[in-house]
Amino acid sequence: MIRVAVIDDEPLARSGVISRLKAEADVTVVEQCADGYGLAALRNDRVDLVIVDVQMPGMSGLEGLAAIPRDERPLAVFLTAHDSFAVRAFELEAVDYLLKPIDDERFGEALERVRRKLGRDARPAAAERFAIRIGSRLAFVDVDAVTWIEADGDYAALHANGQRHLLRESLNELSRKLDPARFLRVHRSAIVRIDQVVELLPRPNRDAVLRLRDGTTLRASRTYIDALMAALHHTATV
Amino acid sequence: MRVDRSVSLSPAMAWVAGLPILGCMMVMSLPALADERVLAFRLFYAVAYLFWIVPLGWLQRWLWRRGAGWWAMAGVLLPVTYVMSVANALLALYFIASEKMRAQVGPAWVFGGLDGCWLALIAFCGFQAIALHRAALALEIERVREAGQAARDAELRALRYQLQPHFLFNTLNAISALVTDDRPRDATRMIARLGDFLRTTLEDGAGHEHTVADEVALTSAYLDIEIARLGERLRVETFTAPGALEARVPYLLLQPLVENAVRHGIAPRPAPGTITIRFERDGRDLWVSVANDMEGTSTGASGVGLANVRARLEALYPDNHQIVAGPEGGRWVVRISLPWSLGQVGMEPVA
Repeated sequence: MIRVAVIDDEPLARSGVISRLKAEADVTVVEQCADGYGLAALRNDRVDLVIVDVQMPGMSGLEGLAAIPRDERPLAVFLTAHDSFAVRAFELEAVDYLLKPIDDERFGEALERVRRKLGRDARPAAAERFAIRIGSRLAFVDVDAVTWIEADGDYAALHANGQRHLLRESLNELSRKLDPARFLRVHRSAIVRIDQVVELLPRPNRDAVLRLRDGTTLRASRTYIDALMAALHHTATV
Repeated sequence: MRVDRSVSLSPAMAWVAGLPILGCMMVMSLPALADERVLAFRLFYAVAYLFWIVPLGWLQRWLWRRGAGWWAMAGVLLPVTYVMSVANALLALYFIASEKMRAQVGPAWVFGGLDGCWLALIAFCGFQAIALHRAALALEIERVREAGQAARDAELRALRYQLQPHFLFNTLNAISALVTDDRPRDATRMIARLGDFLRTTLEDGAGHEHTVADEVALTSAYLDIEIARLGERLRVETFTAPGALEARVPYLLLQPLVENAVRHGIAPRPAPGTITIRFERDGRDLWVSVANDMEGTSTGASGVGLANVRARLEALYPDNHQIVAGPEGGRWVVRISLPWSLGQVGMEPVA
C-alpha cells in the first residue's frame, strides 16, 4: 500500500484529491493537513507520498517540504494553481508538479511516476506491434512504423505510414506498453516518437509547439516539457 | 490647423538658426577686405549681431509662447530691433570710427538704420518664426498620427475581446450540463481543459500579433475543450511548413474560424469529421487555411466569425491580405493570406 498525506488549506481541495485516490486500489490516505507545519512534521517511515498545495497560510508547501531532512522526506507531488513554483519544486526533487484544476489523466500519470519511484511499477514488456481491428479483419502495425499517437475519445489513434489506425485502448494504457526511450508523452492526448520531432519552439509560458517530419504540428504541455527536452538532447548527442 | 504654442526652440538652436545671416554678412563684407577700418566695422557688426540675437531670440520666443499674433510680434520686434541697430551704430561710431568718418556721418546715418544690422536682425526674427512654426506643425502631425494609432488599437481591441466571453459561457454551460447529467469524469475533464485554455490565453501578451506557434498552442487548447465536448466525432490535424512556426499572425486569428468549423461543419454531422489547419509560405505571403468536413449543404466559417476576421485583417493589413471562403471538393475551406514576417518578440503593446 502507498501511504499518502494530503496537504491543502482548502477542505474542498483536499476532498477532491482524496476522492480521486479512493479509486486507486494500492493507495491509502493516512494523513491530512492544512498547512506547511503539518507537512514538516511528516517522515517517510510513516508516509510514502505527500500531495501538497504550494500556497497556504503560515508555512508554504515548499517550505514545509524543505524543513524535512532530505533522507527522511516522503516523495512529493505538488498540486497548485500557480505554475511559477515548478523550478523550486523540482529542486526539492518533487516527483511531479500538477496544475489546478486537476486533470484526471494527468493525476493518474503522476501516481504512475510515484509507483515507479517506489519500485511498484507493473510495466509490461514493450510491445513490438499492434493489432488493429478493421471490421472483422485484423491488421498489424509495427511499432517502428508509428510516428505519433493521439487520443481519440476513449481510444488511441496510431499514425503510421500516412494512415490513421484506431486502437481500442486508452492512451494511458498504451503509453505503458511503449519503450519510454523512443516514445514520449507530450500532451495529455498525444505521444510522439522522439526521432520524428524536427522542430521545437518553446513559448514564454513554458509550454511548447513541436513539428514532426510530416509537418504535423502539436502542442507540448509544460508538465511534459522537461522530459521531452531531456530526451531530445539525448537523441541529438548520441 | 490650430498651432500649438507650447512647442519652442532651445536658445542654442535659435542662435544656430541665426548663423546663415552671419554668413551673408561675411559675404557682403568681402569687397571691404582692402580697407582695414571698414573691415573692422563689418566685424564689429557681425559680433554685435551674434550678441543681439540672444536677447532678441528670447523675446520672440516669449511672445510666441504668450500666443502673440503675427502683427503684435511685428509691432514689438520691429521697434526693438531698430533700437538695437541704432545702439549698434552709436557704439561703432564712438569706439571704432575715425575722426574723419565721424565728421562725415550725421544723424541720418545713425537713425536711418538700414546700413546697420537692422535688416539682419529682422531676417533673424523671420528665420526663427519659420523654425517655430515648423516645430509646431511637426508636433501636430505626430499627434494626428498617434490619434490614428490609438483609434486603430481601440478598434482591434474591441474586435479581439469579443471572441472570448461567449465561448467561456458556453463552456461553463456545458460543464453544468455534464454535472446535471451525472457525468463527473467528463465534467472534471472539461474543467481541467478550460483551466488549461485560460492559462494559455491569460498569460499571453496583449499584442495584436503573435507567432504561429503561439496561435497553434492557443487553438489547440481551445480545440481540446471542443474535443472533450464532441469526443471522437471531432478530429483535428494541424500542419505547418518548415520555419512557419515563427511567422507572425494576428492574435486568435483561427479561433472564430475553428469555432465556426465545429458549430456549422462538424457538430451537425452524425459521422466523425476532421478540421485541417495549415500554415504555408508562398513567397512573401503566409497562407493560413482551415478546412472542415461538412454535412450536405452546411458550411464552415461564415457569418459573424468570418466578418470579425475580415475586419481585423482590414485593420491590420489594409491592402495586403486576402480571404476566401467556399466549398472545395466536399469540404468547406477558408483561406487567408497575409504578409509573411518573422518575429518571436516585438509584439506591439496595446496603448
